[in-house]
Order: sequence, then structure tokens, then C-alpha cells
Amino acid sequence: MKGVLLKDLYIARSNILVTVVSLVVLGFGLSFLLETSALLVLAPVASTTAVFISITSDAASKWNKNVITMPVSRRQIIGEKFVFYILLAVLGLITALLPCLALGFFGADITLHSLCLYGAIGISATLLAGGISLPCAYLFDPEKSQIVFMMSFMASTGIIVGIVLLTNLFIPVKENILLAFHIVLAISAVWFFVSYRVAVKVYQKRDIT
Amino acid sequence: MTNALTVSGLTKTYQDFVLDQVSFSVPSGSIVGLIGENGAGKSTTINAALGLIQKEAGQVSVLGRDGLDGDTKEEIGVVFDGSNYPEILSPKKLNGVMKNIYRSWDETAYFRLLKQFSLPPEKRIKQFSKGMKMKLAISVALSHHSKLLILDEATSGLDPVIRDDILDMLLDFVQEEDHSILVSSHITSDLEKIADYIVFIHEGKVVFSKPKDELVEQYGIIKCGAAQFDVLDKTDIIVYRKMDYEWQVLVSDREKMQKKYPKAMVVPATIDEIMLLYVKGEK
Repeated sequence: MKGVLLKDLYIARSNILVTVVSLVVLGFGLSFLLETSALLVLAPVASTTAVFISITSDAASKWNKNVITMPVSRRQIIGEKFVFYILLAVLGLITALLPCLALGFFGADITLHSLCLYGAIGISATLLAGGISLPCAYLFDPEKSQIVFMMSFMASTGIIVGIVLLTNLFIPVKENILLAFHIVLAISAVWFFVSYRVAVKVYQKRDIT
Repeated sequence: MTNALTVSGLTKTYQDFVLDQVSFSVPSGSIVGLIGENGAGKSTTINAALGLIQKEAGQVSVLGRDGLDGDTKEEIGVVFDGSNYPEILSPKKLNGVMKNIYRSWDETAYFRLLKQFSLPPEKRIKQFSKGMKMKLAISVALSHHSKLLILDEATSGLDPVIRDDILDMLLDFVQEEDHSILVSSHITSDLEKIADYIVFIHEGKVVFSKPKDELVEQYGIIKCGAAQFDVLDKTDIIVYRKMDYEWQVLVSDREKMQKKYPKAMVVPATIDEIMLLYVKGEK
């Protein structure tokens, strides 16, 4: 899996660099307008676009056909993409934390509560979107999967709102906002794992030509 | 003699095509050419043997092992039509990827092959010509101590000079006793140069699987008129084809036929002609 991951890092390297620099610049820029920690919502989602650059590149070069003939199992091929997605989301989160910590050091009003809240929302949106778009990338052709990729972020927002409203039936969300979004985060993590299992199952039986 | 690859009863059904009970083997130390017209089932056979597509029936044994586990794949080098490597990579970066995929990756052998083929290690693959991409794919296939090479239409679309380079390299590879090659191509002249055995697939079925020398040295074509065709013993005819001014009859033993029909013109048959007669002729 290490070799395949390295291949994806090579492919997405320039995109990752642009995203990281943009997030840092945006973080400092946002500090004059609104709370910098809000960047944690956007950062993981923005960082994961590199996964779809690698998926498109794989499709264009027919890499998937080639890699199956190598000592890499179908489970590992799918697993690598999910791991790559998580790694990028975490990288995005860490990158967004840098301006937050720097500004906090210089006295900006950045609390642990807001970091945890926005971080939970950002990671939840990323996991939910990835759980939709990653399996679809192996089910549909590249054009359709790009549409699904864009739609998945809208869908994830809707799902988060839905879960929060549902949680509100049992726990008053306004008074327990951090708990509510941690519930959303846990559900998103389970969703992402289930999605990985489904993608592996689908890909095991898929003809690769 | 052991087999590097044994395919038996391989079956796969598509809406408009059936790969029907395909069976053949690649003996160790030999080159087997898989021939057939476009759409005959060569790539489907290779894809099914490599586990790229799900087979409905049949068995595939590779290097004495049933199925394709990671250890077996370590010993197989596969080259498809086109390089199938991300074009943003350079051969040097590809080395970094491959050494983390193959346990047996031989970096020294890889860079030696790159040098031998005059492939620039730092240049991106997208800047390579088709011939260079093919040479790169072969370099990768030969850099992890493969015992079995499988090439699917790897020489198609290449100029004769590069094709000749590749054929030389394949001949070099098979000098080792336990090295074997399965090569599919519709350029039969290439296979005539290097193959030990020919497997001919037509409409999803294996028509014949024979040593190349038997085909080239024993098979022949009787070229005759209608009157002479009528007197031919029909059991001697494999297939025949009516042309504008003559009949062409494929026979399996041209010397025997020359003696049996002394007035007939019996000429040697090339693999191309044998394939054409099977595809376009009648039984």
C-alpha cells in the first residue's frame, strides 16, 4: 500500500502545496473579518480534492488495470484511497490550526471550544462527503464521479443538519452544541468506515478493463 | 516439462461475446504467441487469467500455484498496450513507487534497463513517445525478477525498429530456463520470429495450440483451380477459401500433400495466411 500511497502523493503534490499555502494565507486573512477557527470547517474538505485528482489520473492512465497485476490486493487499492483521503483531511486540519495557534499566541480570541466545534464540523462534513463520493469513484466513470464528488459536499451539509435536528429531539442542541457535533462526528466516522467496506465489496467483483 | 501458465476451460460471457472454454498452457522456458483478429478474445483471455475480470468457469494456474496471490504476482511482469503509469511521474519517481510495491524490486536492474533503452530518468512519462513508454513498461516488468512475462498487444502501434528491439529483449529474457512469456499480438510476423508455440483464438474459442515450427514447416496451402479442388480428398482439407481465380486449401502436411497430389501447387503457409484462412475460409 505504501507504494500506491507514494504514487498518489506524487500526483497530488502540487495540488496539496497550493491548498496548504491557500489555507495559511486565508487563515491570516480571515482573522480581520471573522473568527479564524471557522477555517477548520473548510480546511479538511478543501484538502481532500487532491484524492479526486489522483482518481482522475488513475482513470486516464488505466493505472487500476496495471496495479491489479502487481502484488497489491483490491482491498489495499481501495483502502489506500480512503487512507489518503483521511491523511489529506488531517493535513488540512493541521494547516488550518497553524494560523489559529499563531493568532491565539498573539492574543486573538480563539478558544478550545471553538476549535473543537469547527474541527468536528469540518471533519464530519469531510467524512460524510468521502463516504458518498469515494465508492462512487469506483462505480461510475470519471465524469459522473466528479459530479458526485461536488454533490457529496452539499449532501454532507444536508446530512449534518438532519442529524443535528434529530439529536435536538433528544438533547437540546443549543445548550450542548459540542456534544451534538461530536455525535455527528461519531456517526460520520461510522458512515465512512461502512462506506469503505461497501467499496471493497463492490470492487472485489468489478471487472477492470 | 512444467508449465509456467495453465489455463483450462476459461469461460466468460458478455452481451455480444463469449469466451468459450479456452484452454492452453505456456511451458516453462518458452514463448507462446496468442494470435487472433481484433475482438477474438485475446485480451479477455489475458484479463481473465490475470484476475482483472471475473471468470464464470475455468482454472488458471500460474507458476505451479492455483490463483494469483501476492507472492505469485511478485514473479509476473505484465505489459499492456500503453504504459499504464501516471504520466505525471518520471521513471525515477516510478522507481520509488515500485520499490514500495515489489519486495523483489531490483533498483540497479531498473536503472540499467533505463540506460540500455536511453530513457531519461528525470523526464516525465507524458513527454515520452509511445515506443519509449513501452520500453519503460518492459523495464518495470523486468526489474522485479519476473519468471513469467505477459504482454498484451505490447508491440502494436510501434515502428519496426522499436518492435525489433523489444523482440530481442524478449528473446534475451527467455534464455533463462525458468523464464517464460505469453505474448498476444495480431502482428503475426513478430510472433513468427520469436514464438515457440502459437495459440490461435477465433470468436472466443481456441482453434489450435501448436508448436510454431509445426505450423511453419509442415502446414501448407494448396493453390488450385475448381477442377482440382473437386478431386481433393475432403479429409485432407482443414479449411479452404475461394478466391477470384483460385482455391486456397490449408493442409497440415504439405510434403505428404505434394506427393498425394503431384500436379497441385503446394506452398508453405505463413502464420498470417493460416490465420486468414481459418477466419475467412470454410470447412
